[in-house]
Amino acid sequence: MSLVPRGATYTTAVTWRQYLVWRKLLWSSLATNIANPILFLFAFGFGLGRFIDSIDGMTYLAFVVPGMIAYSAMFSASFETTIGSFSRYYMHRTWDATLATPVTLVELLLGEVVWAAVKSLLSALSVLAIGWVWGGIPSVSGALLALPVVFVASIGFACYGLVATSLARGYEFFSYFFTFWVTPMFVFSGVFFSIERFPPGVQVISWLLPMTHLIAVIRPLSAGLPLDPGWTLLHLGYLVALTVVAFLFAYAKIRRRIFD
Amino acid sequence: MADSPIIAARALIKRYGKLEAVKGIDFAVERARCIGLLGPNGAGKTTTMRMVMGLATVSAGELTVFGVPVQKMDRQTKAKIGLVPQENSLDPDITVSENLAVYGRYYGLSAAVIAEQVPRLLAFMQLQGRASARVIQLSGGMKRRLVIARALIGDPELLILDEPTTGLDPQARVMIWKQLMELKKQGKTLLLTTHYMDEAQRLCDRIIVIDHGEILDEGTPGQLIARHVKGHVFEVQKPLPNGMADGSWDQEDIGDAILYYVQSPPDILNELPDDAVYLHRPANLEDVFLRLTGRKLRET
Repeated sequence: MSLVPRGATYTTAVTWRQYLVWRKLLWSSLATNIANPILFLFAFGFGLGRFIDSIDGMTYLAFVVPGMIAYSAMFSASFETTIGSFSRYYMHRTWDATLATPVTLVELLLGEVVWAAVKSLLSALSVLAIGWVWGGIPSVSGALLALPVVFVASIGFACYGLVATSLARGYEFFSYFFTFWVTPMFVFSGVFFSIERFPPGVQVISWLLPMTHLIAVIRPLSAGLPLDPGWTLLHLGYLVALTVVAFLFAYAKIRRRIFD
Repeated sequence: MADSPIIAARALIKRYGKLEAVKGIDFAVERARCIGLLGPNGAGKTTTMRMVMGLATVSAGELTVFGVPVQKMDRQTKAKIGLVPQENSLDPDITVSENLAVYGRYYGLSAAVIAEQVPRLLAFMQLQGRASARVIQLSGGMKRRLVIARALIGDPELLILDEPTTGLDPQARVMIWKQLMELKKQGKTLLLTTHYMDEAQRLCDRIIVIDHGEILDEGTPGQLIARHVKGHVFEVQKPLPNGMADGSWDQEDIGDAILYYVQSPPDILNELPDDAVYLHRPANLEDVFLRLTGRKLRET
């Protein structure tokens, strides 16, 4: 069982299965995808936005919309590969049945991850659309250019969720994951205010969290501000490196749990 | 290669930490046969099957499937195996035919082959007309039939069935038995676990009785019955009539009665006093099973 996926067709087969199931639940999924950003933008746009004229050289709305894009993508992928994957692995034994076919564990996990990232992209797209209607996207072309970056980062968010799944013995475990991983990113990654407001020690925590790096790239893009190529590469490099480490860890752990 | 067995295990061991779930068993499964793996809960049946599927690593010993050591099982070999797991693990939200199509893709089949296979398998398991039903709308028996159809999507040579008919009504069981016999006639090899002795007796060419990770005995149902419980059972209620208590019989105390195993009824009938309360029946596989694995309840 090599780590290199030999058959992308087997990975897409797993992703296709997730899509078929999702299609049946399309309306509830669309409703939450659209309602969530509207609620958040209402709170930030009308509420907080009234007190803030501009931040980092942009309107508050232009500041907060890319933050919301990143957060909804992160949340969507995290949910899919924790609660979703754990149900398939542990509760419904779907993974066992899948691994009894020619599909390998690497392909199964990649299929899960790719699908989670596709769902993240859909969430991001709906925030982008609503943010644009609201007037929070100064550069539409820049925002569209940000989507591939969101996709890459979401592959990572899916892998971090998979790490939690690889350690979980029951659903309760995920409350740790959401309290000590998802919520800190909401607080420390600069979704609704600049992380420069934090004391330097706290800023170190911010830069350890992958979502901070995602926002650092997509916020200038959607605001139509210039990007520093060197820093952009560094942000992307950090996202990719952390993703690879998380995937390898989750793979090794799950492999031991299933086969030994 | 023609005569080499589909599955061959030699001194096969599986450990989970300190616990030895399978303790060095040897067995073979020949082509186009149905082999039954019988044992109480926790005997090591499912662990053995998981090793055959490549779902559990082998701790020690040898295990080959289609002549390939399971550790080195490639995709082509894997594609020759179909599994009916103990738990259905169907996707409840999508339709019957979508469930099959998903597995078709897992077996690397083209859309054209899937489109051809799905109606054929639905007809084979008498699920035609249910193609677009959602799985949640199916009865327990239909779900089980769908799981068997799913295991057949890749046209496997080896079918592994973990308790295929547990919890089903007699009609569904008879129907499934008939189709399994048909698969065997087509030349497919079946490895089966079950807690139903009538099922084992009907389907299996050979039975392997396993308990605490060890093989206790194996043979055809007839051989096992002859070897362990002769041919007839007389269950004599306690208190025993005079003259019955001596140890010259092949007997087993089961608490409120004693079981006497005899080759033919006259062997004991002549000795039974008129006032003895007894039940006479032909010995069956259940007697063998209980005699070999004991009558104590298993809590695992």
